[in-house]
Amino acid sequence: MAMSRARKKTVFEVGRYTILVIWLLIVAFPMFWVISTSFKPDHEWFAWPPVYWSQEPTLNNYLNVWTDYSEYEDTQYIKSLQKPWIALRNSLIISLTSTFLAVGFGAILAYGVSRYRILSETRMFQLLMLRMVPPIVVVAPLSLYYSTLGLLDTVIGLVIVYFLTTLPYAVWMTKSFIDEVPREVEQAAMILGASRWRTIWEVVLPLVRSGLVATFLFILILTWSEYLLALILSKTEVVTLPVELSKYEGSTEGRVYGRQAALAVGVTIPLVIIGVFIRKHLARGFSFGMVRR
Amino acid sequence: MARIELQNLRKEFGRSVVAVKDLSLTIEDGEFLVMVGPSGCGKTTTLRMIAGFEDPSSGEIRMDGATVNELEPGDRNLGMVFQSHALFPHKTVAQNIEFGPRMQKIEPETRRRRVREVAEMVRIAHLLDKMPGQCSGGESQRVALARTLITEPDTFLLDEPLSSLDAKLRREMRAEVDRLHQELGKTFIYVTHDQEEAMTLADRIVVMRAGEIEQVGTPLEIYSDPVSLFVADFFGSPSMNLIPGTIEKSDGDVVFRNARTSISLPPAFSGAEPGPGTLGIRPEHLTVGTEGELVEKIHLVEPLGKDTLLYFDYGGEDDLIAIVDGVSSYRAGTELGIRFTPEHLFLFHESGRRIGRAG
Ligand SMILES: Nc1ncnc2c1ncn2[C@@H]1O[C@H](COP(=O)(O)OP(=O)(O)O)[C@@H](O)[C@H]1O
Ligand SMILES: [Mg+2]
Repeated sequence: MAMSRARKKTVFEVGRYTILVIWLLIVAFPMFWVISTSFKPDHEWFAWPPVYWSQEPTLNNYLNVWTDYSEYEDTQYIKSLQKPWIALRNSLIISLTSTFLAVGFGAILAYGVSRYRILSETRMFQLLMLRMVPPIVVVAPLSLYYSTLGLLDTVIGLVIVYFLTTLPYAVWMTKSFIDEVPREVEQAAMILGASRWRTIWEVVLPLVRSGLVATFLFILILTWSEYLLALILSKTEVVTLPVELSKYEGSTEGRVYGRQAALAVGVTIPLVIIGVFIRKHLARGFSFGMVRR
Repeated sequence: MARIELQNLRKEFGRSVVAVKDLSLTIEDGEFLVMVGPSGCGKTTTLRMIAGFEDPSSGEIRMDGATVNELEPGDRNLGMVFQSHALFPHKTVAQNIEFGPRMQKIEPETRRRRVREVAEMVRIAHLLDKMPGQCSGGESQRVALARTLITEPDTFLLDEPLSSLDAKLRREMRAEVDRLHQELGKTFIYVTHDQEEAMTLADRIVVMRAGEIEQVGTPLEIYSDPVSLFVADFFGSPSMNLIPGTIEKSDGDVVFRNARTSISLPPAFSGAEPGPGTLGIRPEHLTVGTEGELVEKIHLVEPLGKDTLLYFDYGGEDDLIAIVDGVSSYRAGTELGIRFTPEHLFLFHESGRRIGRAG
C-alpha cells in the first residue's frame, strides 16, 4: 500500500506525539500525585478506588508540617513539629555551601586542565570513574573515619562529603564550558596588558557564567536530594530534608502520606524558585555552546 | 623603536613535530615584513613566539638588543591582530577598544577621547555601541585593528588578518593596512599564505617552507630572482610555466629537451650538470607568433579584460600559459608558435634548487 508523502508525515507526527505524551504522563504523574495528595484529608490518602482530585481539599497537611497548627495534638507525629524548618535550614546551608565550593574549586581545576593540561585525559577519566563507585560501598569506612575525626552528625562533615563527591562533576561540566572559550580571546586580553587573573575575571568568567550557573544548579539538585550519605553520616543532630522526609513513614499512626506530600512539595519549591531565577542562564548553559563567536 | 632579532629560533611540539627549525631573521624598525608560505609551514608558531604565547624550544628573541624570551606577552610592547579577530564577545565595540588603555590605567576622559580618535581612524565610529556579534567580518576586522592601534605598540603582529574576508573586502582592507603602516611608521610583521597579499604589502618578504626560511627579499627580488622551484611556483598569478625535461650538454652548449621540443639555453646556464630538470618561464615572457621553439594549438582562451590568457596543452601536467594583449582575438584550436625569451628563462635542478642564478 503506497502512502503519500504528506500522509506518511502525518502518521510519523502522530506516532511521535503519542510517545511524547505517554512519556510525559509517566514523568508527570508522580508529581501530580504528590501535589494532589498534599491537599487530601487523611481518609483519602489510601482510599480505594484511589482519589485523584480530593473531594474535600484541605491545607491541613501544610499547616501541620510547616506551622504550629495541628488538629492531631495527640499523635506521636506532633512531637517532631518544627523539625522541617530545621531540616530546611540544614539543607540550605549544607547544599549551598558544598555546591559553591564544588563549582568554585571545580572551575579552577577545570581551567588548569583546559589551559595547562594539569591533568591528563586518563586522570580526568579516572576522576569521573571515582564517581561511578556506588556511595554505599564507601559509606561504612567513611563513617568510621568521620567518627574518629568527630565529623559525624555535623554540618561540616556533610559539606565535606558533598563537596568531594560532586567535585568530579563540577570539573567535567565546567571544563566543557571553558574549552568553548577561544584561547585567542584570552591571549588578546593578555597582549593588551591584562594579567592572568584580570583576564580570567574580565574575559573568561563572563563567557562561562551561564555554564557555571547550569553546573551550580545541577550539583545543587544532587546534594539537595542526597539521602544515603546524609542518613548514615548524620542521623540525629543534623537532619537534612530528604532524611526528614523519610521520617514520616512508619510512625505509630501508620503512613502519613498527606504530611509527607506536603513536606515533599516544600522540599521542591526552593529548587523551582532558584530554577526560575536563573532560567535565562539555563537554556544557554545546558546547550553547551554558549560562547558566541 | 623596535628592531626585532630572531636567532636560531626553534619550536618543537612533542617529540616528533618541529614547527620551526632554527630560524634566524632580523626585522628592521618601521619595516613591513611579510611572512608567507603554505599552510602548516610554521608562520603562526613563529609569530606566537615573538608575541610570547609560545616558549621557544631553543633560540633567542631580541628587541632593540635586549633578550625578551622571559617577558610576558603584555610586556613586550606588541600589538597583535588574530586571524579569528578574537574580539571580546560580551563587550561592546567601544569597550573592546577601550580594554588596552583601561589595563594601562589611563584616565577615563582620555580613554574615551582616544577610542573616538582610533575608531575614526579605521572608520568604525558608528559601530561603537554595537556588540561584536552584530558586526560583519570586515567591521570586526576593523574593530580588532582599532583595539590594537589604541595601545600604540612599537610592533604590530598580524596573523592572516584578512583571510576570513571575501575577495573585494580583502582588497579594501589590504589598502587600509598599507595606509596604517605608512601613517604610523611602526614595524609590521604580517603573516599570510596569499602571495598576492605578500607582494602588494611587503617591504620585505620571508618565504617559509616546512619550518625554515626559503628566501628573504623584496617582492621584486622574490619574483624575478627566486632561489628555488618552490618560490618560483609560489609567486605570480598565473604562476610560472614549469616544463619538466632533461638538461643535456653537447660541445659546451646546454640544451633543454623534452618530448616536444629542445631549447638551447643561453651561456648563463653553462654550469648546469646534465640530468633531469625543470625549465621555468613566466607567462608574460612567452611571445606567440608564427614560429617559435614550440608549435601548439590553443587549448583555451581566457579573456581577463586588459589581458588575455592563452592555454596550450603541450603534453605536460599543466597547460602552458601565455599572456597576450586583451584586445587580440585568438581562438581555440588555432596553431601558434611559442617563443621563450632567453633572458627570462629559469632552470631548476631535480632537487628544486635554481641553476645559474646570478650572484
Ligand atoms: N600546539 C601545537 N601542538 C602541536 N603541533 C602544533 C601546534 N601548533 C602548531 N603545530 C604544528 O606545527 C606546524 C606549524 O604550524 P603553524 O605555525 O600553525 O603553521 P602555519 O601558521 O604556517 O599554517 C604544523 O605542522 C602544526 O600542525
Ligand atoms: Mg597559521
